[in-house]
Amino acid sequence: MNNTIEGVFMNEDNKITDKNVIETEVTMGTVHSAAIEPYRVRLFVEDEMVKDAEITVGINHRGIERIMEGLPVEKANSLTEKICGICSNSHIWNSVLVAEKAIGIEVPERAQYIRVIMEELERLHSHLLYLAHGSEVLGHETFAMRLFYIRETVMELLRMIGGNRVQYGVSIIGGIRPRCELDEMRVQKIMEGMDIIEEKVLEFADRFVSDPMIMSRITGVGVLSQKQAIKLAATGPTLRSTGVEIDLRTEMEAYEPFEFNVITQDDGDVKSNLLMRVLEIPEAINIIRQAVKNLPGGKITNRSWDMQDAPITKSYIEVPRGKLYHSYALEDGRVRNSIVRTPSITNIGAMQYAAVGHHITDAQLAIVQCDPCFTCTDRAIQIIKI
Amino acid sequence: MSLKSYSRARAIHVMLVYTGGCNGCDIEIVNCIFSPKYDAEQYKVFLTWNPREADVLVVTGPVTKHNEKPLKEIYDAIPEPKAVVAAGACALMGGVYKNIHGDIPSEEIMGPVENIIPVDAKIPGCAVRPEDILSGVVSALPLLLNAK
Repeated sequence: MNNTIEGVFMNEDNKITDKNVIETEVTMGTVHSAAIEPYRVRLFVEDEMVKDAEITVGINHRGIERIMEGLPVEKANSLTEKICGICSNSHIWNSVLVAEKAIGIEVPERAQYIRVIMEELERLHSHLLYLAHGSEVLGHETFAMRLFYIRETVMELLRMIGGNRVQYGVSIIGGIRPRCELDEMRVQKIMEGMDIIEEKVLEFADRFVSDPMIMSRITGVGVLSQKQAIKLAATGPTLRSTGVEIDLRTEMEAYEPFEFNVITQDDGDVKSNLLMRVLEIPEAINIIRQAVKNLPGGKITNRSWDMQDAPITKSYIEVPRGKLYHSYALEDGRVRNSIVRTPSITNIGAMQYAAVGHHITDAQLAIVQCDPCFTCTDRAIQIIKI
Repeated sequence: MSLKSYSRARAIHVMLVYTGGCNGCDIEIVNCIFSPKYDAEQYKVFLTWNPREADVLVVTGPVTKHNEKPLKEIYDAIPEPKAVVAAGACALMGGVYKNIHGDIPSEEIMGPVENIIPVDAKIPGCAVRPEDILSGVVSALPLLLNAK
């Protein structure tokens, strides 16, 4: 006891040792003003520098996979939409894909195109929301408001097609819902909306990049090296921002008719991540334009199929945050052994790693750069240490 | 006139608590207050994250097991008089998570919000629409302004 005075470690001759910096734990959450969603972050801080970070999830766990067990497959599909309010269309699309793959249903081409249009509109609104959230965490509220304003155009388009601003429920087994059919008026409105968004996003990007205050705040913060990103199994834009050119859309059947570039950035810091999303927006607009222009005619739903039992079937798609996995088996038209793995869950490692080694004020920014969505994250998972 | 009612005559502060829904309602509420299209700030409705500062508590989500205690604590931390607005289908009746299930019901949901704290105004919808949020918050205002 003699060699500690007010928490500072002393030698026997009362000289302060080199190890006079004490590791302090700073906890955030579960409900915290900086984080809208409930989760817990423990930052281990030494002299204001983050030495280690730990993110605890599980606060939002609602047990969706469990309540899906034994539900009729149509009902279970619409329940998957309720996993996340940001990428709801991705969840229902992938869940429907599992059933289609298991039973062997052919989807009409027109339905595929409309699904792609919805997915890309969702990517637009998700990326704009990410940029708005990022700007808010940066402390630039005006940019956040401006981005919410741009996003409103996308939300209006989503409401027009799906009938609701958040949960639109477009996909059903065999095609899309009849109310989501695109007639000429809707096609025209989408085209007009795309022009508005493209103009405003480019204008925003110009202002964002040429602002020296913002660029100096985000450059070199929250660096995730390429090697580490691969080791931590990061997916989606978080991985692509470190220079890895992987996009599942290039392998997906639905995206075959469209031409688009896979955007990559080099540095893996907050700047790369933000620019990554900014540059992906014109690509998404490009895909929507191609889809709307070449929209094939014909049916939107294939109703000539019979329910049958199927073993566990898997499906992967690329969603705004990365790779999404759904799998379940079918038994008397009911869902069994449902598993959902969302991209945010694989990105948790990247979030923890990105926060380490920087100033504590940058920790929240480093976590936000990986686009966390903790309602997606709280799934039933089993972590196996290798 | 107390200090709080003096300040309240000029601005209403809304605190948003998220208790485990799907994020949809929360973004709509933030959007409703932030986005220049709806812009609740023009009516002097501000978003705050500090319970001590708040007048109206907007609760979304079905209240998962881990969120029950924080929600109660936040409710207690808000000074009187206060109003609670439950927003969205989950906050009103537990939503799909409580009411739809296959073989086993979910044991994680402690909601609806009424089970945990008293609710003054309810906003229906999945997800809530920005217009409804504004009218819901406004409908809770007489409770605050007429309190002594």
